[in-house]
Amino acid sequence: MTNSTNRGMFQLEESEDYLQEEPGASVDSLADGVHRVTIGDRSSVVLEGPERLVALDSFGTPGRARVYRRILRERFNEKPIETIVYSHDHVDVSGFSSVLADEAEIIADERTARIVEERGLTSQKLPDLTLSTDRAELQRAGRAFVLLHPGPTHGTGNRALYLPDEKILVMCDTLLPNARYGLLPDYHLGNFVSNMRSLGGLEFEQFVPGRYETMTPEQFREGCDYVEAVMETAQEAFAEGLPIWERETLEDYTTDVLGDRFGHLDGFENQVGLTALRAAHHFLMGGWGLEDTPAEGMNVATE
Amino acid sequence: MSGNGGEHRGIFTIDGELPIQSFPRDITYRPVEEPVWTASEGIYRTIFIEAENSVIAFDTFSTPGGARSYRDAIERLFPNKPVETIVYSHDHLDHTGYAADLNPDAEIVAHELCNNVIEARESDGQLPASETLSGEWTRLEIDGRTLELIYPGPTHGDGNLAVFLPEQALLFMVDTVIPGVGYTFFPDWHLEPYLDNMRRLLSLDWETFVPGHFWSTDRDGFRKNLKYYEEVRTVAEEALVSGIDPMDLDDVRSYAEEKLNAYEDFFRYNEYVGQNLMRYMLQLKTGGWGTEGVTSARTGELSPGSEVTVTR
Repeated sequence: MTNSTNRGMFQLEESEDYLQEEPGASVDSLADGVHRVTIGDRSSVVLEGPERLVALDSFGTPGRARVYRRILRERFNEKPIETIVYSHDHVDVSGFSSVLADEAEIIADERTARIVEERGLTSQKLPDLTLSTDRAELQRAGRAFVLLHPGPTHGTGNRALYLPDEKILVMCDTLLPNARYGLLPDYHLGNFVSNMRSLGGLEFEQFVPGRYETMTPEQFREGCDYVEAVMETAQEAFAEGLPIWERETLEDYTTDVLGDRFGHLDGFENQVGLTALRAAHHFLMGGWGLEDTPAEGMNVATE
Repeated sequence: MSGNGGEHRGIFTIDGELPIQSFPRDITYRPVEEPVWTASEGIYRTIFIEAENSVIAFDTFSTPGGARSYRDAIERLFPNKPVETIVYSHDHLDHTGYAADLNPDAEIVAHELCNNVIEARESDGQLPASETLSGEWTRLEIDGRTLELIYPGPTHGDGNLAVFLPEQALLFMVDTVIPGVGYTFFPDWHLEPYLDNMRRLLSLDWETFVPGHFWSTDRDGFRKNLKYYEEVRTVAEEALVSGIDPMDLDDVRSYAEEKLNAYEDFFRYNEYVGQNLMRYMLQLKTGGWGTEGVTSARTGELSPGSEVTVTR
C-alpha cells in the first residue's frame, strides 16, 4: 500500500510515480547467511538468522523499500526483519525504514540519529539504539556483527558493518571499485583517507560498497590511493595558480598526472576533473565544518 | 612551514613551494559611503571601515600575499590608522584564512560557530577569534563605529555573519548571494535552510548588498538571485524524476541548459549551471548534509539582541 506522505525531500506531485516505482531486485550470497540485495545501481546487505533478519538500510524511495521487503520475504521464507541498521543518515540509503519494516528495531550511530531527528522525515524512523563507541559488537537475529565508526568519512556517523568470521566488510558510499566519485558528495576529505585506511587493517576478503560490485582488499587500498592521489594533485594544481574553478583545466591536469596510474579505473576519464575540482576546493576553503578537522562533535550554537 | 619561504600554508599537506600563497594582488577600493569602503582584487570582495583611531577590516582575502596587499591598500588610504579589528564573515580560508598576514595583533571578532571550526582546524595563518558572538544579532561598538552583526541561521560555511550598516543602508555578506548563477557545485552551502534564512535579511532596511565576490547589487538583484536557487531546486526534482543520473555531469548540464535557459544571461551560466543542478539533485536524494544542511530555516523576525562595546 503506498503512502503518499512518505516522499523524502520530494515536493512535486509529478514525483509520485518516481517514488512509487518498484524496479527489479536480485539477491546473491556473499557467505553463509550473508546476502547482498541489489536494486538498480545500489546494493545493501542482509544477515539471515535462524528465524529473523538484520537488514542494512532501506533503499532510497518507498517503492524500493517495498521491493526490498518483498524480496526478503520471498527469499527468506517470510522471516521478519528484526533489526534495521542505518549505515548513515542519507535518505537515499536509510530514508524509508518505516516502509521496509515499521516494527523493526533501528540501530544507528548517535551522530546519524541526530541528523535523522533534525531532518524529521516520518519515513526515516528515529533509532531505538544509538551507538556512541567507535566499535560496537552486537548480536541480533542470532547473528553476531560489529559496527565500526572510523571517524568522519561520508555522511554523518557512517558505520562499517564488519563480519570477522566471514571476513566481510561493508561500508556504504565511501570507497568505490572505480573512479565514479563525481564531486564527492558529503565526503569529509580532511579525514577520509586516513579513516578509511584504518579499516584497511581489518582482516577481510570482501569489501561491499553501497554501489557497484564487491571489492577485494587490493581494490580497497587502490581506492584509498586514488582519492589521496587526486587530493594531492588538486593541491599541486592549486599551488601553481591554476584556475581551480575550471573543471576542464583540472581534468586535463589530473589526467596528465594520474592517467598512467589510475586511467584503468572505470569513469576516470569523465569524472576525475569534477573530483579534482571538489578536492581543490577542500584546500581553498579549509574543509567544511568540524568533520574536516581533528575535532569530534557537532557544531552547535549556544543560543 | 616547510619549503615555502616562511609563508603560511593554510591546510596544504604537500611539501615544497606554494607559489599561489605569495602572489601579491592588485587591490582596488572605493568608498561605498564613507566611512565604509569596499575592496576587491577582481574575484574576492570585502569591506573595511575607517574608525576614529583605527580601521575595522572585514576578512583577510584568500592568501598570505592577498592579505598583505589588503593591508597595504588600507595603509595607503589611512596611513595613521592601523587595522586593529578584523571581523570574520565565516570560517573559510579563502576569506578569513590569513589574519596572521593582515595583522597578527588585531582583535578578531567572529560568531562562535565560525570560531569553533577555526579553532579545531588549526590552519597555518588563520587566527582564532579573540571575541566570539552568539545569537542572531549583536550590536558591536568599536572605536566610534556601530556594527550590526547578524547570524540568520545556516547559509554557507559556519557562523556566517551578515554585516548590517543602517546609516549606509548597506548589507555585506560573503558567499551567499553572489552575482550570477551559483558558484560551481555550491561548496558548503546548506541548501535546505538557505533560502528562508537569506530571505530573513530582506526585513532589514538596506538598499545596497555587497557580496564576497564580484560586484554589489540591490534588493531586486538579491531577490532574483534567490529566485534562481528556488528554480534550480524545482528543476532538480524534475530531473531526478525524469531519470537523469545526478552523477553524469554531461546529461545533467544538458538538462539544466534546457530547463533553466531563462537564466542564460546570468553571469557564468554556461560554466556552472550544470554543477548547480547536480548539487541540488544530490541534495534531494540525500536529504541534506550535516546538521546545518538538514535543519529547518529559522523563523521569526530578526531583532536586535545583545550589545557589545569594544573599547579601542
